[in-house]
Amino acid sequence: MSANTVHQRPAHRVPPVAVLVLREPVSRRAFAELGYFLLNIPVTVLGVVYAVVSLALGAGLAITAVGVPLIGFAVHGARRLGSLRRRMARRFLGEDVAAPLPLDPLPGVFGRMSSRLRDRVGWRAIAYLMIAVPLTLVGVYVVAATWLWSLIGLTYPVQYALGWNLDTKVDADGTVHHGFVFFDVVFDTWPRQLLITVVGALLLLIAPWAVRALLLVDRLLIRALLGPGGKAERIRDLERSRAYAIDDVAATLRRIERDLHDGAQARIVAVAMNLTMLNETLGPDIDQDSRRLLTAARDHAKDALVELRDVVGNIHPPALDGGLETALATLAARSPIPVDLTADLPDRPAAAIETIAYFSAAELLTNVTKHSGANRIKVDIVEVDGRLRLAVTDDGRGGADVAGGTGLRGLTERVGTVDGRLAVDSPPGGPTLITVDLPLHT
Amino acid sequence: MRIVIAEDSVILREGLAQLLGMRGHEVVAAVADATSLRAEVAEHAPDVAVIDIRMPPTHTDEGLQAALALRRAHHGLGVLLFSQYVETRFVRELLAEGSSGVGYLLKERVSDLDEFTAALDRVATGGTALDPEVVTQLFGAGPREGGITTLTPRERQVLELMAEGRTNSAIAKRLVVTDRAIEKHVANIFAKLNLTASDDDHRRVLSVLKYLDGRQ
Repeated sequence: MSANTVHQRPAHRVPPVAVLVLREPVSRRAFAELGYFLLNIPVTVLGVVYAVVSLALGAGLAITAVGVPLIGFAVHGARRLGSLRRRMARRFLGEDVAAPLPLDPLPGVFGRMSSRLRDRVGWRAIAYLMIAVPLTLVGVYVVAATWLWSLIGLTYPVQYALGWNLDTKVDADGTVHHGFVFFDVVFDTWPRQLLITVVGALLLLIAPWAVRALLLVDRLLIRALLGPGGKAERIRDLERSRAYAIDDVAATLRRIERDLHDGAQARIVAVAMNLTMLNETLGPDIDQDSRRLLTAARDHAKDALVELRDVVGNIHPPALDGGLETALATLAARSPIPVDLTADLPDRPAAAIETIAYFSAAELLTNVTKHSGANRIKVDIVEVDGRLRLAVTDDGRGGADVAGGTGLRGLTERVGTVDGRLAVDSPPGGPTLITVDLPLHT
Repeated sequence: MRIVIAEDSVILREGLAQLLGMRGHEVVAAVADATSLRAEVAEHAPDVAVIDIRMPPTHTDEGLQAALALRRAHHGLGVLLFSQYVETRFVRELLAEGSSGVGYLLKERVSDLDEFTAALDRVATGGTALDPEVVTQLFGAGPREGGITTLTPRERQVLELMAEGRTNSAIAKRLVVTDRAIEKHVANIFAKLNLTASDDDHRRVLSVLKYLDGRQ
């Protein structure tokens, strides 16, 4: 029964085309588009004046100290105007164009200036402004020819009656006509007035479509020039957001480690202390069951601390706070196979890079221990040509292969997240040399 | 025993003071950072300072640096580093200037008060107290050429307890054997490792650690 009622819901009725066409001039969308266009006129005029004046001044003063910053100022302003246009388009036209990434200026006054000057998003916004000028001029004409003339046409009989907007024409025979004159024809008689009204009505029907066609061009321009940009730019944006994500993860892991250290771990130590104090207070004369419970509670607290320590070691080894060299020294000290460690890093790499390098070294040392049968391992970590190079050599049996196990493949992928590379040189019989090459910064 | 505590976590600082008080030790000052630690040690001249490694402002190794500075400035002061992690680098730095009157314990060791106060006693009287976990990590660092690989499991056990800073009689009690048996084991270990025999606790530790470290 109820299933039937669901199916018998009245179908959504599509109004006939005629109704659609007639309704369009008074639709919300038509008004929004008209509103967008009208608002666009002052925005474009002011924007162009701003851009042209500051660019021209900047170019004119280019040999002085203020010239170049002025151009940078113009580009930066254009970027902001672009964002205003995107917001207008979203609000009035429902045109949802993604914003380009915010400018990530180089440090310092000069860094910021040069970043602004090279800001492609800003220059594209200037290009948009320049194209917007003729487009707006055409638009003014279109709106005048449709909306404005339709209103004039529709109200013509009223205007005629009130004697507004009337030309005067004197025929050859001396008769004087008052009325709208078009191609030497005076629209003064009643049917002629009606004709003008009909033309006005037709223009009214055309008006929304004309404006829409005009705005279609504008939408295309906004998408092309004010959006996130072409493939190259998209790649740069992605690289930047990836670097941000990687740094963010490193910072988050470090924060989690801190929080655990100061929070949960400290509290469990406090629990262990309290249990110890309870044990002292109760003294030796308590019953077996209570004693057993107390001992069990203390053991659980201790185990919890051991487990938390392992967790922390897997997400952010505390030794990394002292730098990569310290952390690797600790790692080397724990290796069952003796490790010769050489570290020479004049510049401290980004935290995320340190973490990746640390876990790479840990994984490689584990691999050597498990599979190589080596007696000695050499770990070198040095800076070469602005990149970080981690080299792990062992005197084991060789034959290591990225395709062979999941370990090296996983490592290759992890290193790849920051555009790092992993190279394996491991002939059968050894020795094995595995190099991990990483950028110093993400 | 007169003790100064440096620990930035309030609950641990107060808990530790209370705990030590229960065993009749006098906590003369409990502070939250390295600067106040130095001031309090200078003022009270305690027997031992219990120092958290990670303290403000950077939360990395302030405690270790303070411990090293205090040992240079105050002869005979015992320092016990107290941490949630074992960092072999910290252990090495701590022991680099001698193993007399130093210790490194994980915080969870407070759950055995007898062991904990015994370790504190050793440090206060010029001995050494290394956490079993520290020793495990140093030993886990594997067999060097010859030497350690030739030790019997029992001898290895004895060596680990020696490295923690225990005396022969303490080791004997722990392993439930006679002192005499331990003395024989120790002599064998020293012979196998080519170490000079010594009765001096901390020098024994030092020689063990030096040996373990020799591979680097």
